[in-house]
Amino acid sequence: MKKKIAVLLLAAATALSLTACSGGSNASKSGPSSSASSASKASAGKHYTVGICQLVQHPALDAATKGFQKALTDKLGSRVTFNMQNASGDSPTCAVICNQFVSSNVDLIMANATPALQAAQTATSKIPILGTSVTDYGTALGISNWSGTTGKNISGTSDLAPIEQQANLLHELFPKAKKVGIIYCSAEPNSKYQDKVIKKALTKLGYTCKDYTFSDSNDVQSVTKTAASESDVIYLPTDNTVASNTGIIKNVCLPAKVPVIAGEEGICAGCGVATLSISYYDLGYTTGEMAYDILVNHANPATMKVKFAPKYTKEYNPSVCKAMGITLPSGFKAIKASS
Amino acid sequence: MDFMMAYLSSLSPINLLMAIPGNIAQGIIWGIMALGVLITFRLLNFADLTVDGTFATGGAVTVVLILAGAPVPLALVAALAAGLLAGTVTGLLNTVLGIPEILSGILTQISLWSVNLLILSGANKAVNVDEYPLIVTLRNVKSSIVTALVFAAVLICILYWYFGTEQGSAIRATGCNPHMARAQGINIDFMKVLAISLSNGLVGLSGGLLAQYQGFADIKMGQGSIVIGLAAVIIGEVLGDALLGKSMNFALRLGFVVVGGVLYYLVIGLVMWLKMPTDLLKLLTAVIVATFLAVPYLRAKSKNSFALAGKRGAQNHA
Repeated sequence: MKKKIAVLLLAAATALSLTACSGGSNASKSGPSSSASSASKASAGKHYTVGICQLVQHPALDAATKGFQKALTDKLGSRVTFNMQNASGDSPTCAVICNQFVSSNVDLIMANATPALQAAQTATSKIPILGTSVTDYGTALGISNWSGTTGKNISGTSDLAPIEQQANLLHELFPKAKKVGIIYCSAEPNSKYQDKVIKKALTKLGYTCKDYTFSDSNDVQSVTKTAASESDVIYLPTDNTVASNTGIIKNVCLPAKVPVIAGEEGICAGCGVATLSISYYDLGYTTGEMAYDILVNHANPATMKVKFAPKYTKEYNPSVCKAMGITLPSGFKAIKASS
Repeated sequence: MDFMMAYLSSLSPINLLMAIPGNIAQGIIWGIMALGVLITFRLLNFADLTVDGTFATGGAVTVVLILAGAPVPLALVAALAAGLLAGTVTGLLNTVLGIPEILSGILTQISLWSVNLLILSGANKAVNVDEYPLIVTLRNVKSSIVTALVFAAVLICILYWYFGTEQGSAIRATGCNPHMARAQGINIDFMKVLAISLSNGLVGLSGGLLAQYQGFADIKMGQGSIVIGLAAVIIGEVLGDALLGKSMNFALRLGFVVVGGVLYYLVIGLVMWLKMPTDLLKLLTAVIVATFLAVPYLRAKSKNSFALAGKRGAQNHA
């Protein structure tokens, strides 16, 4: 008897939630506000809830989220609440997170990384979505004829590294090198995209390029060893797995005296000679400003062009340069080595 | 105390209830995957690690075919076929080359990584629900639940019928006692390959469904799926035993496996709703699932321990 009651209660709860869903999904009514102290819905004191879906714990993504939160808190103060969720590297969990955001009717969704953006796109066509730390929106969203705007509820910022300028940087520092090896993780679409672009730029400058890919962090050492033995210079795109394994790469390339040009500052601090760096924190901050525009000024994401990093700087790693005996021309800012 | 009150008041039960349908939909899709895991884990007695790779293969094949303009049912059939193929490879590695089962699974899983990269020509491909007629999607959760339930129900009926046929029973016999099965004239190698192949076919199919549901196929979408599958199978069994005890038959077992998948995702939804520090998501999910599984076991032990029997005896005879 007790078991039957338990089963009936469970079924009733599920049925209740299904009817609640049907009531909420058609009408635009929002359920009782989640913060009891929120002001009335007049535009002056309106309280906003922003959902942040981050793919994985990672320094660059964390910095972008921090920048985003800072921008909105700077502009809205206590009138904004963040619901920050992290999928811990599981891309199907992004769908669970976005479902939660949609069903609790957040005012805006910030998707940090490609799978998060894709899950958010599928979850809702009404709630505005801002992506960040995504390199190529056209491929990520499956939009052919990408023109810079999505035409629907999605916009955001791209972390596309200034790749042509990075190729020029490599040429400026190592004009006599012939072979460039590009190391990245085969599981990361952004890395493959950067690899395509930089190969074009470097081949135009007269270098021969070769790809060296690994599938996960266990293969980094062996792949790097092969790359170091066959290349004059190594280029590392902004790859998440590379960023977590710079120690291994440094231990292979330093003794082999093969210089490394990195796609971003974190990687350069770990194992690189120089880089043209963007700041993910600034990228997140720009995304936050776009969010403010959408929330308060009712800007339409469909017509907002995807923005890029506001500025980039030439940086070098002094300890790695000293160990390799490389002196750089002026104009480079020093970064503190991370190890 | 104030902090607790503020925290508790910031949790809105309505939000939890509203998020449940989405979790149910995803849970049913993973439940279909768990049906595949049930076949190898319970009927053949080993954990088939191929599923981490097959799940992504199913997703990859489905997305690539849908993007090429194929009708969705055809894409799903292709995902099923790809899964069957992957399972056959694992089975052959084990039976023909004599490689231990878990290792065969791992080898196929590793090879499927490269195969999936080739299929996706990259690490990730989006399938836009606005542009293609997907049958399950996060955009429309209610219809997805219905579709997924229909899939699950049909598959459970087919599996129930199949494992009652002669060939199906031969598979069960092979898993139960291979030596006796061989003595009865059953070709156990063939049965093993067949079962692993069938299991991976189901996993491939569910991978195709999930890729549509979340709107993209990703090279890593299968990672850790064996864990979810096993959790769903075991949760289902524990729940079934607790609710129905001895009257659970094979069809109900299959049904409870899907329920196990749904429960697992409800737990994840609950953990997220609790607004715990996000880094602890996986730890908390594991803790809640472990509690779930431990409670019936501990209750049974507390009722049936020898110590208690001794105490009862002492009371009766005192």
